Amino acid sequence: MKNLIQDTIDKIERQHITPEPGWKYLMKNYSLWLLFAIVSILAALSFSVVFDNAENLDWDLYQFMHQGRFSYFLSIIPYFWITLVVAFLVAALFEIRKTETGYRYSWSKILLITMGSIAIFGLFVSFLGFGGKLNSKLNKEIPFYRQHMMITKESQWMQPSKGFLAGTIISVAKNKLEIKDLNDKRWDVSIDDKTLIRPSANIYQNEMIKIIGEKKGEDNFKAQEIRPWTGKGMGNGQNGGSLDGSGNRGGMMQGK
Amino acid sequence: MDKKESLTDSELIEMAKQNPESFGILMERYQGPLFHYIRRISQLPKDDINDLLQEVFIKIYQKLNEYSENLKFSSWAYRIAHNHVVDYFRKTSARPKTNALEGYEWEKMIKASVHIEKDIMDKDCAEKIKKCIQDMPLAYKEILILRFIEEKEYEEIMDILKKPKGTVATLIRRGKKLLAEKIKEQNINCF
Repeated sequence: MKNLIQDTIDKIERQHITPEPGWKYLMKNYSLWLLFAIVSILAALSFSVVFDNAENLDWDLYQFMHQGRFSYFLSIIPYFWITLVVAFLVAALFEIRKTETGYRYSWSKILLITMGSIAIFGLFVSFLGFGGKLNSKLNKEIPFYRQHMMITKESQWMQPSKGFLAGTIISVAKNKLEIKDLNDKRWDVSIDDKTLIRPSANIYQNEMIKIIGEKKGEDNFKAQEIRPWTGKGMGNGQNGGSLDGSGNRGGMMQGK
Repeated sequence: MDKKESLTDSELIEMAKQNPESFGILMERYQGPLFHYIRRISQLPKDDINDLLQEVFIKIYQKLNEYSENLKFSSWAYRIAHNHVVDYFRKTSARPKTNALEGYEWEKMIKASVHIEKDIMDKDCAEKIKKCIQDMPLAYKEILILRFIEEKEYEEIMDILKKPKGTVATLIRRGKKLLAEKIKEQNINCF
C-alpha cells in the first residue's frame, strides 16, 4: 500500500500533473446558473404572454357559441406558449439539477420552487406589459402566428359569421351604430330595446366596443349585447341595461 | 510528518495544491477506505483495484480546485471513485466480477437487507443468498454496500451518488425488496 502512494506521487511529478485551474470549475458552475437564469427568464416571458392572453380573452363566450365550457376552454388556450413554458421549465429543472448542489433537492422541491419563481417573475413581467407587447408584435408581424398559433382577443371578436364583432364607433344614430371593425371594414349595427348594453360600455364616437349578435348581411349586424373593448363591462359606466324603445338613454346614443 | 497528519482534509488539500508530497498524507488517509470501496463495487482482482485506485487518486489530485467544503472530502473522493469505476466498466464493457466480498461483509449485508430472526447457521443457505445479491443490478448492489457495509449515512450516500435523499431511500428500499423477492423466487427458506 505504501508503494502505491509513492508510485502515485512519482507519477504526478514525472508526468508534471497539476491540479486543473479553479477558474475552469467556476466558469462551468456559473455557466450552468447562467443557462438556468436564461431559460427561467424565457419561461417567465412565455408565462407572461399566457397570462396576458388569458386575462384579455372572454371566457364566457361558450354560452353564445353553443359549446361546452371545457371544449371552449380547450379551443382557446394558447398551446404554443404553454408548450414553450413547459419546455423552458423542464430545461430549467435539468439545469438546476446539474449545478454543484442541485442533486440535494428532490424533483418535487425543485419543480415547486422553479414553477413558483417563473410564475411570480412572469406575473411581474406581465404587469410591466412585456407579455402583451410581445404578443401584439408577433400578431402584427407574423401572419402565421396570428392565423394559426394563437387565439387572441382580436381573432376571438372578429368572427361576424359566428356572431362576434369588434370595432370603433364611427357614428351613433337612433337604433343604429356605424362601426369600423378591426380590419377597417364598415358595419351598420342595428340595436333595439332588447339589446343589452353592459354598464361600462360607452356608446360614443371613437369608443372601441365588442358586439355579440347576428350577421344579417354583407355589412349589417344585429346586436344582442354590447360590451366595452376591455373586460366584460360589468363595472360602473354611463350605460347599462337594455335600451328603451327609442334606443336613447341619457345621451349615451349621442355622438361626441 | 506528525504535525501534517493532524491537519484537516481541507488544510491538506490547500497544501497539496502547491506540493504533491502533501497529497501523500491525504492518500494515506483514504487509500484503505477507497481500496475496499472499489473492491466491493468492482469485485476485481487486487492488482486491478490498485491500478484503479491510483487513477482515482490522480483524478482527485487534478480536481483539487473543484473540491468545495459544502461536502465532506471523503464523500467527494468516494464520488470520484464511483464515477471512475462506472466509467471503467463502461469502457471495458465488463460487468463487475463476483464474490469479492469478505465473509463478514456478506453477513452484514444479508442481515441488514433481509429480516433475519437468528444468525445464519446454514452455510449452504448463505451461499444461495450471496448468489442472489451477486445477480442484482449494480445500482442496487452498490447502494446496499454503501449503506450496510460502508455504513454511510443517507446524506453521505446522497453526496457520493449525486442523488437526492428521497431517491437514495427509494433505491435502498427497492434493493432490499428485490433481494427479498429473489430469495423467495429461489425458495430459500432457512432463517
